[in-house]
Amino acid sequence: MNRRIPPRNRIIVKTVDTYALRVAAFLKSKGIEPTTEAVDKFINWRLSQDWTQYNQSAMDRIQVVKTQIDALPLSLPNAKKGVAYTASISIPTDLVDWYRIVGLEGSGMKISEVTDGSCEISGSPEIANDYTLLLEYHVAGDESADFYTRELHLAVNPDPRDLWKNIPTDPAIDYFKTDEDCDYVKVEANDGTPRKDIVAASKRGRSHAHEGRPRDDDFKICHNVDNGWYVLAVADGAGSARYSRQGSKIAVETASKFCTDALASQGEFENVITAYHAQPDDTTRKPVADMIYRIVGTAAFRANRAIRDFQEQNNKDCTPKDFSTTLLLAICKKFDFGWFVASFWVGDGAMAIYNADTQYLKVLGEPDGGEYAGQTRFLTMDSIFANPTDIMKRLRFSIEDDFSALMLMSDGVSDAKFETDANLNRIEKWNELWADINSSVNLIDDNENSKEELLNWLDFWSPGNHDDRTIAILY
Amino acid sequence: MRRLPVYLLLDTSGSMYGEPIESVKNGVQNLVASLRSDPYALETAYLSVISFDSDAKQLTPLTELSAFQQPTLNASGCTSLGGALKLLAECADREITKTTAEVKGDWKPLVFIMTDGEPTDDLNKGLEEFNKRKWGIVVACAAGQAANTDTLKKITECVVQLDTTDSATIKSFFKWVSSSISTSSMKVEDGFGDVKGLSELPPPPPEVNIVV
Repeated sequence: MNRRIPPRNRIIVKTVDTYALRVAAFLKSKGIEPTTEAVDKFINWRLSQDWTQYNQSAMDRIQVVKTQIDALPLSLPNAKKGVAYTASISIPTDLVDWYRIVGLEGSGMKISEVTDGSCEISGSPEIANDYTLLLEYHVAGDESADFYTRELHLAVNPDPRDLWKNIPTDPAIDYFKTDEDCDYVKVEANDGTPRKDIVAASKRGRSHAHEGRPRDDDFKICHNVDNGWYVLAVADGAGSARYSRQGSKIAVETASKFCTDALASQGEFENVITAYHAQPDDTTRKPVADMIYRIVGTAAFRANRAIRDFQEQNNKDCTPKDFSTTLLLAICKKFDFGWFVASFWVGDGAMAIYNADTQYLKVLGEPDGGEYAGQTRFLTMDSIFANPTDIMKRLRFSIEDDFSALMLMSDGVSDAKFETDANLNRIEKWNELWADINSSVNLIDDNENSKEELLNWLDFWSPGNHDDRTIAILY
Repeated sequence: MRRLPVYLLLDTSGSMYGEPIESVKNGVQNLVASLRSDPYALETAYLSVISFDSDAKQLTPLTELSAFQQPTLNASGCTSLGGALKLLAECADREITKTTAEVKGDWKPLVFIMTDGEPTDDLNKGLEEFNKRKWGIVVACAAGQAANTDTLKKITECVVQLDTTDSATIKSFFKWVSSSISTSSMKVEDGFGDVKGLSELPPPPPEVNIVV
């Protein structure tokens, strides 16, 4: 924008004659001889007075404008690294006749030319930084070429993903465990009829990775080709417990091994299930419940004992509490008449049977979550096994129609996807989860690659939810 | 997502004029800049600024760190600490999400109060409203010798004192507040629950004395 300097010389030259005549007349009336010298002397004195006053007034106006500019609420919304940003700045043209903003060089953002008093900051910030921009301006009507300045602040937030460090776990620590793990149990199609497979993945949470702490979750999935029984176990070691990574490992291994062994030698079990299906009533139900208690309930109890024994043998300075872990355990088999599913659940996380086609949902228990830390129950607490009624409360069994998936997950997944316990019972939430998984994981029969896909899916971004994540899916 | 609300109650009375208020401004700016580079705080911590002089005003409503804009702080007038506590209670009622069956509510708010003098209004009135709400940790900071730690003890058990209100001391107080917020965000995100006592915060620097 050009600044116009008024052609003041010409104006003064034009007016001097009449003004000089008036001064001469004035001097004469005061009894002073109006010589050219006297007139000039007076005019020069007058001009110099006016000039001082004029400058003072101009300076005052500049000061007023500067104060007004400093008071303008010129705040720029914060930007975010890598995210397109635009903001505009407007300065009233009656205050300044020219301005520009500088200070974003090399930031990835640029500042447009000023048009009608406005300019725009736009672009995609390349680094997170607090920028101090300089507004340089010329006060409207100021005849000098002086510029004045004001600071503006523009904060560019980092991408939270960049802030999370990924420090590998030191392999030398006690009970080292890999930072991620996945597995696939392939049960090949039989005479062209697909049979359900199991896929599972477990990944260290960002909060653990940030500090180089190990993964505390664990899982175990298996299938016995001889008898058709599937066993799934997921465990989440308590973040506050010293050796919970070992607790979760012992839990899933002990419980799944006990179930697998027991199911291999319990031919009678399948007879009572068949009888229960043929005529479901209290008489036929009780033998099934008893068997579930003896197999699934005992598997959980054995896991509790195994952790205690391990601690006593290897870490005498600790207590089982230092190995605190949750446990979600399910056994499952296909019969002619449907699927038999039984489960045990202690602690938080989620476990459910879900059918996307029929919109059937059965949550296999209640999470022992809690509003406050310390309310979560752990497998390692003896009170869990204090009496048969308490154990029975954690067991579930039923005969189900075919389903899309039997899912077990640690709270690293369920907290992010369901947020509250109440939402676990809402089919819409499971629909969302199922759609989300299927958008990244190709859950078709015998697809062994899906274990890596599931592991990648576990990387999903959810602010504030950076716990270890583990999920096992029978589908 | 469960937010960790943080309320800063800052004395902007006339006695803070000059170096103290300039140091507070810098303190707030540094605090926000440092928390923004902490992944826990950036996602979890939400910040509000309430100033109190002749009146209490909420200059910044509870705002996520990434959107926080530095408020304008000017020092003048007297010290309405009672009014600030009352306003804090009202803001918390309005801004803090309560837990329902479908939504996990916010963590209990952290409150940091900084004052350099005696309250000039009725403290008890504000205290009554303040005490009706549940807070996480409340830290009151007596900045300089004119502030009365006994008065602050009525508000909270966690009282700290700064010997002077020069820029280095105020800077180190805000640095400690910033690391306290970092520690608390990490604690809640890692599932250890609300922060309740001074012992759960990082040890204060030498310029910040714990009043027992």
